[in-house]
Amino acid sequence: MADDQKKTNEAPLKMEKAREISLPAAVLALEVSSDGKTAFAACQDGGVFSVELEDGKPALLGKHESYASGVTLLPDGQTLISAGYDGVLQWHDLTTRKTTRKVKAHEFWSWNMDASADGLLVASCTGRYEAGGYKYEPAPERELSVKVFDAKTGELRHALSHVPPVQAVAFTLDGRHVAAGNLMGEIRVWDTVTGKQVAQWTTSDFTSWGIIKSHHYLGGIFAMMFNAAGDELYICGMGPMRDPMAGNGVQRWQRFAWRDQKKLDETHEGESGQGLMEALAFHPSQKFFVMAGRLFQGKWNLAFFDTATGRNLYALDAKHRITDALFTGDGSRLLLAKARGQERKNKDGVWPDYGLLEIHSVQMPV
Amino acid sequence: MRNPLSHLPNPACGGADHTLHRRKFLQGLAGAGALSLMSWGGLFSLPAFGQQAKREQKHCILLWLCGAPSQFETWDPKPGRPTGGPFRSIPTRLPGVHFGELMPLCASIADRFSVVRSMKTSQSEHLQGIDLLNRGALPRPPFIRPTLGAVLAQQLGHLENPIPNFVLFDPCPEGNEFKEFKAGNWAGWLGAQYGPVRVGGEFKIQDVVRQADITAEDHEARNALRRFLTRKYENERRSAAASSQNAVFERVKGLMSCADLFDLEKLPAKDRERYGPAAFGLHTLQARHLVENGAPFVMVANGMPWDSHVFHNEIYQMLVPELDRVIFNLVTDLETRGLLDKTLVIAMGEFGRTPWINQARGRDHYPNAWSLMLAGSGIKRGVVVGATDADGVDVAEKPFNEKNLFATIFTALGIDPYAAYDLPDLPTFHRVEDKAEPIREILA
Repeated sequence: MADDQKKTNEAPLKMEKAREISLPAAVLALEVSSDGKTAFAACQDGGVFSVELEDGKPALLGKHESYASGVTLLPDGQTLISAGYDGVLQWHDLTTRKTTRKVKAHEFWSWNMDASADGLLVASCTGRYEAGGYKYEPAPERELSVKVFDAKTGELRHALSHVPPVQAVAFTLDGRHVAAGNLMGEIRVWDTVTGKQVAQWTTSDFTSWGIIKSHHYLGGIFAMMFNAAGDELYICGMGPMRDPMAGNGVQRWQRFAWRDQKKLDETHEGESGQGLMEALAFHPSQKFFVMAGRLFQGKWNLAFFDTATGRNLYALDAKHRITDALFTGDGSRLLLAKARGQERKNKDGVWPDYGLLEIHSVQMPV
Repeated sequence: MRNPLSHLPNPACGGADHTLHRRKFLQGLAGAGALSLMSWGGLFSLPAFGQQAKREQKHCILLWLCGAPSQFETWDPKPGRPTGGPFRSIPTRLPGVHFGELMPLCASIADRFSVVRSMKTSQSEHLQGIDLLNRGALPRPPFIRPTLGAVLAQQLGHLENPIPNFVLFDPCPEGNEFKEFKAGNWAGWLGAQYGPVRVGGEFKIQDVVRQADITAEDHEARNALRRFLTRKYENERRSAAASSQNAVFERVKGLMSCADLFDLEKLPAKDRERYGPAAFGLHTLQARHLVENGAPFVMVANGMPWDSHVFHNEIYQMLVPELDRVIFNLVTDLETRGLLDKTLVIAMGEFGRTPWINQARGRDHYPNAWSLMLAGSGIKRGVVVGATDADGVDVAEKPFNEKNLFATIFTALGIDPYAAYDLPDLPTFHRVEDKAEPIREILA
């Protein structure tokens, strides 16, 4: 087991770092092929890379004009869709390694994207935080905040209203519903067939209004996922802070029965430290899920939770900010997207790499 | 003698003609007799006097971007470079000059102000940086150099002015390094009378309205008695505290007479819409309104929102457009009102931010190469001076420090930058030490 892993509880599973792959810029989103051999990374330099996990060599697939923020592989295994802070969705053909389509989805950033498991729909969320009141309450949207596209044709299916900035989006496994969460902790769920909103509620446990340094809002929901049955929604971020500039809110997830807008569970008292959590992933067995992000203070920035009890089963300090996490299809490996602090130019005048893709082998408990 | 203000339920000013000229004020006193202090109202009613004073009056509005704003997302973008961040750059009215994409309004009036892209200072911590960029020199304990606001309050203001000579808007009262600075001595060796009157959070100044059951005559009589007793105490005991107390009471009295100027609700809704809706913009609108009514120096701060060690881009997507709108409206409004040539507008913080992005998706403190903006009185229009290297790591052309900046500010306002302070028993200090050169490229 790697030296930097610290158990916080009796470990019912084992995890070991198998490989670390360097990328030029911080990795903001990850995808992996169904055979687990190839990963895809959306990076802060705008690059969309494919990475063969055996040899660890990244190859550029496409480039956004600003940060690349999302990447998803359709079930055909040949079509990769990426999203960026340029507000564009790009379709990449993995056989020809060419970018085949660009769709201007938003005037502002695509904060996050997701595709339905059947590969029919892709959703992206946007929104710029603009001051809408004396206390810097977010102003209403200038453009519709959530867009759902036909993943095959790129055609817009639904443009859905929310309060910007909308920072996280997720489909149910059956693709029937899509949810999106924003800075203010407001969650909306829509029917993807009709485009009608079917649920809306707000959790105040992720948003800060600055008291110490600045009077404005910060935080919100940074990642979300549905359970396999599609009746529960998990969200993550960090708890409110007095000083939003500190980044020291409590590491937090919450679980909702979304049709009732009822909170079922959240990070248990005493089981988390401080720091922004921005990645959620279910293990294929659905028995466990992972939450990861940045460690400000505490013992971990990556933790496994028992889906049934919500208990923190195993946690470690992965040393660098984790921006995304996902399991390979067989559940034997966990891939982590990481962002190191950007270093100064070296003596040769070159900016060192500051993105990482890590592969960990995971042995689940019997 | 009847008090000319006694007919008013709550003495308040708000007109354009209440700026006092010292000589006229003294003439007013002499003509009306030594005890007729409330002849102020009569002085205010002389439009010609007010207009003359306003013609001569120079002003300064400092948009204090505390926390240290990033040069990359504002005045000195580096799109496509490893340090550039996610925002693009946009062309401005100046050929070849680009600003960050979040500043389209400023880009559209880039020919009306100057930008310095090559500030290089020495302090990388907030408290020290705030002190440096507010005083224009490194500390030399135990002597306390007055802040820019205090110097301009002394040089541009009048102690008899009912509008405070130094107004500080800052709605964020809680703990941070700026709070620590604010708790310190702003006026230094100039004396407390040149310190700021602080307004924030609420737009109206609190507790400056005369109680309804006290007549204006009673109020003044009480004040005269208090003043007499305090002066007596001050003379007999040589008490600086008593002197300061008198200064404070005089200031409160001035505030009582112009409380309406601080009432946002009395400003046109259209203006509030253009500058607002958030605190920084609305306070800047009030700064403009105060300047229109004769205030010599107004500093608009808003806590330390620019200190983006985490969530840099997430914060700047909101802050920079607000700054863009505020500067645009302020500069164009002052110009429309014929005040831009008399009013120096400065937008700056205590340093800049790092070219490199940290692990928490933030930019850290960086005094090595940063930018600021000046407009109005004594400043050329449409000049960008200095340059940083391709990645914004260092100054490539014409480095300037805080002394160069202060020499520029004083010169632009017609104040001798190198004058020695008259400080008996103290070492010799100058407004700007070492005869530091102003930034001549931007001086009109």
